Amino acid sequence: MSARPSSRPQRSRSTGGAFAVWTIALLVALVATIQLRSQAEVERSLQSVDPASLAFSIDQLHRANESLDAQISTLNQQVAALQSGGGSAADQELTAEALHLRMLEGLVPVQGPGIVFTLDASGLTSIDLQDAINNLEAGGGEAMEVNLHRVVEGVVINQGDNGVTIDGSVLQAPWVFVVVGDPTRLGETADEMTRQLRGDRRVREAAYRVEPNLVIRAVVSERPFVYASPS
Amino acid sequence: MALVALAVGFLIAGQLKAQLLTPSNQVARTQALIHSVQDLERTNDADRQKIAALRAQIAALEAQAASDSATTAALRNEVAELRAHAGLTAIHGPGVEIDLTNGDPSTDPTDQGRYLVNYQDVQDLVNLMFASGAEGVAVSDRRITPISSFTGSEGEVVIDQGPPLFAPIRVVAVGDRSLMQSAMTDPNQLTSLRIRVIQFGVGLKVTGLGDASLPAYDASLEIPYVGPA
Repeated sequence: MSARPSSRPQRSRSTGGAFAVWTIALLVALVATIQLRSQAEVERSLQSVDPASLAFSIDQLHRANESLDAQISTLNQQVAALQSGGGSAADQELTAEALHLRMLEGLVPVQGPGIVFTLDASGLTSIDLQDAINNLEAGGGEAMEVNLHRVVEGVVINQGDNGVTIDGSVLQAPWVFVVVGDPTRLGETADEMTRQLRGDRRVREAAYRVEPNLVIRAVVSERPFVYASPS
Repeated sequence: MALVALAVGFLIAGQLKAQLLTPSNQVARTQALIHSVQDLERTNDADRQKIAALRAQIAALEAQAASDSATTAALRNEVAELRAHAGLTAIHGPGVEIDLTNGDPSTDPTDQGRYLVNYQDVQDLVNLMFASGAEGVAVSDRRITPISSFTGSEGEVVIDQGPPLFAPIRVVAVGDRSLMQSAMTDPNQLTSLRIRVIQFGVGLKVTGLGDASLPAYDASLEIPYVGPA
């Protein structure tokens, strides 16, 4: 009888220890399962993709990673310049970045190699224009204007009563795209687009030419945020 | 005891793995391609993290320089504004969230793939948001920039430097909420998507948000072929 009181706490400790160990086991199993499940889900989502699409993904990711590496290299140079040069280096870096962002946002005229793509058709819609712009951007375009209207993501393209509009201005045919960017990739993209468009009954003419230097003078105006604030 | 616990844990996990992953020799080639994609995606993810860290480091160094010079401070403010419009700064504000999910496969072979959310759906949606008062947009936490583009194949959406996204896709836009919401109810907009919502049950859910958050862009904004005119 005297052993009971002393054995009780011991048994309780032993039960508590076993409970803790089994809880850990359960947690380990749970974590491992969650990891494997997410891995399995990723694999499953890719399993549903056909080999041609996977090959496309590999090609796209190779190109993307090269582009990311180039960006890392540029940013590393910026860090090095800022660390070594003090205030004047900061001014130089900020001035260069301001120009870079102004070019990117379509706020200043730009130039460079690229293509001029002409599309003459009747009955084309705003979706046709958006698709053409997107294809040229995805195909190496870095700056673009259409019929002397600068185009960046966010510029409003609509279907109006009198046809397609860019920022409220009606776009008359033919549509002339001036695109600055990688001329080789742009040439390949335009070639493919031209082939496809020539099979479209609405299209009278689809043609392009590669140019060593093109100037884009059209700009978009700055639009201050009304609703958005920095986080 | 702890070792027993670990062994039990891994045993359970191992059994689940066997149930969840069923490798087959028939799909060995596809598996090899999948592993290549996964390796490249891991590199892509690591590069993005590096870019975000470098941009944060640059911002800190510039802030330090700006504290010593009024000229630098003015330049920094100018660049901050430009960065925000380029998508390089996280923003928040009123907005909408649009959730896109795949529908049900059809038995008709000519309809193949139409039940899937594709990159053109996302492209149309993003364009509609900008045309309806959006000041910033993110697609599944990928911020859209002035030079963003959309590609992909069946059921796969690639934005800028990827990696590929698959449904469910979440589009969040910050801006004029009432304009964006009314655009989403306009039957003349997103016609291709709306038809597939009816035909294949593609999911299209719109939610108004009092305060939506968009992350900063974490990939490349290099434009090596463009120079000032």
